[in-house]
Amino acid sequence: MKISVREVGAVKVVEVDGEVDLGTSPLLRRTLLETLPTVGRLALNLEAIRYIDSSGIATLVEVLNRSRHLKKEFVLFGLSPAVQEVFRLTHVVRIFQVFQTEQEALGIP
Amino acid sequence: MSMGDSPRLEIRFSVPSDPRYLRVVRCAVGAVAAVIGWEESDCRAIALAVDEALTNVIRHAYHNRTDCLIQLECRESAEGLEIMLLDNGDAPDKSKICAREIGCDQPGGLGTHIIRQVMDKCSYEESPQGNRFVASKRLRKTT
Repeated sequence: MKISVREVGAVKVVEVDGEVDLGTSPLLRRTLLETLPTVGRLALNLEAIRYIDSSGIATLVEVLNRSRHLKKEFVLFGLSPAVQEVFRLTHVVRIFQVFQTEQEALGIP
Repeated sequence: MSMGDSPRLEIRFSVPSDPRYLRVVRCAVGAVAAVIGWEESDCRAIALAVDEALTNVIRHAYHNRTDCLIQLECRESAEGLEIMLLDNGDAPDKSKICAREIGCDQPGGLGTHIIRQVMDKCSYEESPQGNRFVASKRLRKTT
């Protein structure tokens, strides 16, 4: 799994490429939790995630809760089919702000 | 096997309790499901369910130790697919299985929900050989 972070204006976009499971989710968790306090809005691109399990979903839920505590925004975009299937199985899609495109996730009209 | 019965696919793994091996198992189980006849999205779901069962063993039975072993059997049955996991770690606390509400904003506890949604049957039992998890899924033929 590869992770990178880039700035787009006042937003930081985290890109994840690969598979998120028990072995790789700690790196995703650390990256998101370290980046979150440094921005007003953190956007996670899920387009290149080929696999995610419940440990990955738990990471996203934990970051969402932390964002609420810090009064930050944590948004998702570009859900791959693999991610959509697991979101459906775990019924978590309703708790996140999910956008189709990066532009929408950045809040650009 | 009697004369005339077709032999069925069965694979057995001895998997170290190290998360870096999970991908190997996912690939193998997904391939077995595809050979039996499931579509791609179902194969991914079945591989996910087995991954979640292995993850539960690593986390809760072996407490994230990476030097233990998990026995995995994956076999084609007359009706579909059967999975069996065997470990020698701590027995699962059945009161905590699926104890958390699904779809809520609390992290964790989703793995067993996924397993039960994907597989038709699953059970946990203690045996002289260790903790045994058994799950099965029927292939629903459309023709």
